[in-house]
Amino acid sequence: MALLALRGIGMRYGAVQALAGLDLDIAGGEVLALCGDNGAGKSSLVKILAGAQAPSEGSLALDGRETRFRGPQDALRQGVATIYQDLAVAPRLSIWQNVFLGSELTRPPFGLLDKRRMAEASRGFLARLAVGIADMDTPVERLSGGQRQAVAICRALRWEARIIIMDEPTAALGVKETAQVLDLIRRLHAEGRTVILVSHAMGDVVAVAQRVVVLKGGRKVADRPTGAMRAEDLAGLVLRAGTE
Amino acid sequence: MGGFLTRYGAALAGLALFCGFALASPVFFTAGNLAVVFKETAFLGILAIGFTLALTTAEIDLSVAEVASLAAVVTGALVHGGQAPWIAICAGLAVGTACGAANGLAVTVLRVPSLIATLGTAAIAKGLGFMLTQGVAFVGRWPTSFTGLARGNTAGLPNLVWWLAGVGLAAWVLVKWTRLGAHLVATGEADEAARLAGIRTLAMKRLALTLAGACAGLTAVLLASSLSSAAPGMANDHFLYAIAAVLLGMCMFEPGRPNIPGTLFAALTLKVLGNGLVLLGAEYYWQDIVLGAIILASVALSAAGMGRAPFVKKLNFRTGR
Repeated sequence: MALLALRGIGMRYGAVQALAGLDLDIAGGEVLALCGDNGAGKSSLVKILAGAQAPSEGSLALDGRETRFRGPQDALRQGVATIYQDLAVAPRLSIWQNVFLGSELTRPPFGLLDKRRMAEASRGFLARLAVGIADMDTPVERLSGGQRQAVAICRALRWEARIIIMDEPTAALGVKETAQVLDLIRRLHAEGRTVILVSHAMGDVVAVAQRVVVLKGGRKVADRPTGAMRAEDLAGLVLRAGTE
Repeated sequence: MGGFLTRYGAALAGLALFCGFALASPVFFTAGNLAVVFKETAFLGILAIGFTLALTTAEIDLSVAEVASLAAVVTGALVHGGQAPWIAICAGLAVGTACGAANGLAVTVLRVPSLIATLGTAAIAKGLGFMLTQGVAFVGRWPTSFTGLARGNTAGLPNLVWWLAGVGLAAWVLVKWTRLGAHLVATGEADEAARLAGIRTLAMKRLALTLAGACAGLTAVLLASSLSSAAPGMANDHFLYAIAAVLLGMCMFEPGRPNIPGTLFAALTLKVLGNGLVLLGAEYYWQDIVLGAIILASVALSAAGMGRAPFVKKLNFRTGR
């Protein structure tokens, strides 16, 4: 049974049909890449999965049970975390403040913030991702791009998210940092988490994803295992799919 | 060392100022004069704490002083008319809180930028103050149960100092040690990231602006109680001082961020400065000139920290280069 199943998902903005009749099964533990040109419907799909937007038609099922997300917080509670490219972190807040943003830990008897426990837990999450940062009080703006992605992922781990959606996680990064982020995705995969990777970077996709879904004009035009696929093959697929 | 200076430089300058006045004027470092300075600091400090809370959520409240003036005349009118002090006190606090809540609704529901919304509230509060009083001050021999609120000492310290300490501590604990405070800070720091993390950012802005109004209400009650009088516009002198205290406070302890300890220490520094200048024989207008220079210098000097503060970008406090 699919962990997350989409059936007949459609999204209309006025006269624009951004998504139409999309069926997609996502298995537990897989890294699924979502590709397609601008305007293919990727960001509409991400918004629906993140709970930021309700689909105009169709249904979602988690673990075979039909569900809907009443907002980003609701999606998080149901185990689906979304990491947006630009909006993932609050730059001037510390690592632990970012990891526990909106879900801070408190301690009795007065219900005051338990900063030490949040810092320790953040350190633990980062260790799981093999990211070594000494001081959890460091503002996130002082971290490298890859480390920032790691902090954003830690927030997903804090929610024990089973499905982590990453929207263009490497778009603004250099070569070394991109490698670091790909490594983070491999570690999430090794932990048995499901990752949905939205990316334009074909090389990244074939490096970490097991399966790739290509969207075009709001429809699914290809859905296949990456296997021995090379970046050029995928690029060709994105360009040609649906045209023949 | 550089970090130390950014953090504590302005505070040390304040301390140096204090020592300088103590050496230069025989009157400055007397119990009587210090009590005056601390009492003045109390009014300014409580008003500025409200401003700090609003700014924490990246909203600015330009109405605090006019709202305090309105709340003061409402309180004064009731005491003057023979109402029980507790009724007058509650009314003053309620007027302040209601104005703050109105600011919050204007900003979050009507979507008027706080810079404009609070300017509107300030004008309305000013007009209402004159309407209520017809421009005349309430002065009288008011019951000591009311004036005792701000006058006199408790445990060896002026009551006003206790009020300031209480409000300051409460605000500091709120911002630094509670979930609510963390959400206020996150709202100011990264509106969209906070919202996506499930923080009710609009409610946080409403709360912060309402608290700013409540602080203005408390300042008003204490002013009326301390002076045993209430007149329209009576808190207006505190307006620039409050802004200066918050901005100078942002150069202290947590550079580039509105913070409660910074605001309190800056409020004290400004009042020490004003008092010292008078004692050294400077004409009164020098206070305003120095105040303006401090406002400019605070923002210019802490450029490194403040330039990246979200509210600065939002309000266009600093021009791009």
